[in-house]
Amino acid sequence: MDFRELAELCERLSSTTKRNIMVDAVAEFIRRLEVDEVEPAVSMMLGRAFPRWDQRNLDVSWATISEILKRLTKSYFPVFSKVFRDTGDIGEAVKATLESSRVHRQVVLFERPLTILEVRRILEAIAESTGPGSRERKARLVEGLLSRASPLEAKYMIKVMIGEMRTGFQEGLMELAVSKAFSIPLKVVRTASMLVGDIGEVAYLCKKHGREVISKIGFKIFRPVKPMLAQMAGDPEEALREHGGTTAFEHKLDGARIQIHKLGEEVRIFSRRLTDVTGSLPDVVDVVRGGVKAHEAILEGEVIAIGEDGHPLPFQHLMRRFRRVYDVERMVLEIPVKLYLFDILYVDGESLIERPYTARRARLKEVVRGIPLTEQIVTSDPEEARLFMERAVNMGHEGLMAKRLDSPYTPGVRGKYWLKIKETLEPLDLVIVAAEYGYGRRHGWLSDYYLAARDEETGELLVVGKTFKGLTDQEIIEMTRRLKKLAVREEGHRVIVQPQIVVEVAYNEIQRSPKYKCGMALRFARITRIRDDKGPEEADTIQKVRRIYERQFEKKARY
Amino acid sequence: MFSVRVADARAFRDILSAISTLVDEGTFYITEEGIRLRAMDPSRVAMVDFAMNKSAFDEYVSSGELKMCIDIGELLKLLRRAGRESVELFLDEETGQLKVTIRGKYTRTFSMPTLEASEEEVPTPRITFNVKATLTTDGLHQALEDVSLVSEHVRIEAEGDRIVMNAKGELMGVNIELDKGSDALISLEVKEPSRATFSLSYLSEIVKAAASTSDVVTMEFSTDMPIRLDFKQQYDGKLIYYLAPRIEVE
Repeated sequence: MDFRELAELCERLSSTTKRNIMVDAVAEFIRRLEVDEVEPAVSMMLGRAFPRWDQRNLDVSWATISEILKRLTKSYFPVFSKVFRDTGDIGEAVKATLESSRVHRQVVLFERPLTILEVRRILEAIAESTGPGSRERKARLVEGLLSRASPLEAKYMIKVMIGEMRTGFQEGLMELAVSKAFSIPLKVVRTASMLVGDIGEVAYLCKKHGREVISKIGFKIFRPVKPMLAQMAGDPEEALREHGGTTAFEHKLDGARIQIHKLGEEVRIFSRRLTDVTGSLPDVVDVVRGGVKAHEAILEGEVIAIGEDGHPLPFQHLMRRFRRVYDVERMVLEIPVKLYLFDILYVDGESLIERPYTARRARLKEVVRGIPLTEQIVTSDPEEARLFMERAVNMGHEGLMAKRLDSPYTPGVRGKYWLKIKETLEPLDLVIVAAEYGYGRRHGWLSDYYLAARDEETGELLVVGKTFKGLTDQEIIEMTRRLKKLAVREEGHRVIVQPQIVVEVAYNEIQRSPKYKCGMALRFARITRIRDDKGPEEADTIQKVRRIYERQFEKKARY
Repeated sequence: MFSVRVADARAFRDILSAISTLVDEGTFYITEEGIRLRAMDPSRVAMVDFAMNKSAFDEYVSSGELKMCIDIGELLKLLRRAGRESVELFLDEETGQLKVTIRGKYTRTFSMPTLEASEEEVPTPRITFNVKATLTTDGLHQALEDVSLVSEHVRIEAEGDRIVMNAKGELMGVNIELDKGSDALISLEVKEPSRATFSLSYLSEIVKAAASTSDVVTMEFSTDMPIRLDFKQQYDGKLIYYLAPRIEVE
């Protein structure tokens, strides 16, 4: 099928808010797809270049896309910037640009309409370009793609590339549409989607094999399921907000996550990457045999290595145990491990993944005797959460996991149901040197800030990170007003400002990064305070940032 | 059965390098007469049409017809180890492995997997060309290097006894004139004045890569149509590229 039809469908979806109409349109569309087109089309409609389990990513920067638009249309900025500011939608801005100007189009040798499969094939080629010269190769492929696209097609191609469709058609509605398209009950589709981890893949299986096969997708003991993943949160308070005021916090142990399958006396253990590590953990197998009071079960837990004083040892020690074939017995004595359980997915013929977290946790308690669960509290009090975090860190753990009380277990999905919270490092006072207009709701505001530290040797301000987190809407509006006054020049939707405003910034880690000149980047930075009491000359120095960066290693090495 | 030998790896390596500017994986058609490959880059903007006849090899044995798809980049890595030594290729049809034997001071045999062959038949573009120019490959290469200093694409025009290349960048511009009979432009026939614009990310790459295989190139084009570049080879065979133009549309 031609990509044009997919683009037209998406355009129809964004023009209505009626869910029935959307679902009917998509269901009808999916029915008309060929088997091989189903997964790519479903993925793209959800703003994904590839299915969820696929590790590949396009790695095409906005700078590249912007450069290509410039090549295609000569001067595109006036129209683009205007439409982008009015709508906050990059796809729409691209479409308007291509419509309004004379386009310098790259022709292909044998013209033919772009098909869904061809778009996927080119996206694959983009993702697979790596190594030297890959940036140019990617650019060439993106240019080729946009050249062949009509403005409407280009709008949705760009959206797929940046992963933001804004059609209002989300995963949940897609499940409905798939159910409708193949006349398979919604519950069956949902379960399959959870187990397989990708609705596109499920739609493909529906098309190819039909209801019979889909309804049989289920847990199979000794076939590992992809683990549910967590996004990062800055602090316990953010997790509470994200989870609607109340949430469950668990200690996040610095160990190895394992999935345990038990059938009678037989126990198998799988690593996070789903390799069988049963052989290197005979002591864990024994513990499970003795402590899990169910015939069949799939459980999740964390194993940590224990030092002589009973305190946890770092991860590296534990890894010596993994995948070890010889001398396991000696290692068992040398590096004892301890198992903590935290979830249960399946027990005696019953799948629990659709049950809420609280119900699974309760069930886990019932099923297990004598194996500790990870320490947990349920709270809505930020102070209690903060103390719990402090205790976890003092005990030598990594931090906390926050788990939404009513959340199902979603295999393979990195969503917001689970949030990981790691210890924060000492905050930095940094200078805002540039800002960008935000997306969506924030599109008229300068809401994305470049943060710089001072080089005490040269006096130069070096960018160490960028963030759009931490300020309230009111503060952003005020900040926009102040920054506009300080504006030096505009580069597209980025505004370079005089370095005047100092903010206090929290972050979780300092990483090496080629992105900035100083070679480091703050991970997960967010503004915690506006330091109007400080001038730019009082901001923290790049030397201090480097010292903190190096200290991270000291800590790790000390283990 | 397919087995060949080339006494000097270099020329063969240069050819594969030239092909690999457009395609990563290539499906070679192998017959009793020789090998050929015709492939488009993933964007379908350019294609390469390559052939190397039996007589171009120092030894050539093939029975029947077969297709062999390989990762050209991987094969190049092996050939780079060969310097100017002799190279033998042997396709083991049972295992699907291509054996690459390099004989020099010592003998080493690599094996690499063959891939699933592409079924797509790439046709030859049918174009009426109004300009036919013969240039030294080096002259063309140098001219394009000049242009790439200021822009990402080049407009090529032919009229009378002259080819003009020009480009405008954001700040700088360039104008290059090649006159018939000059060192770079050996001959020129213009049926109709013509002009077309090409992306340098393709054109320069192609010419740069093909320059090491060829001294003379025949360039044919028409207004806003694909360009054909025929790089004359020293061996019995061909290396021809087609590249689609950039055009301006309302």
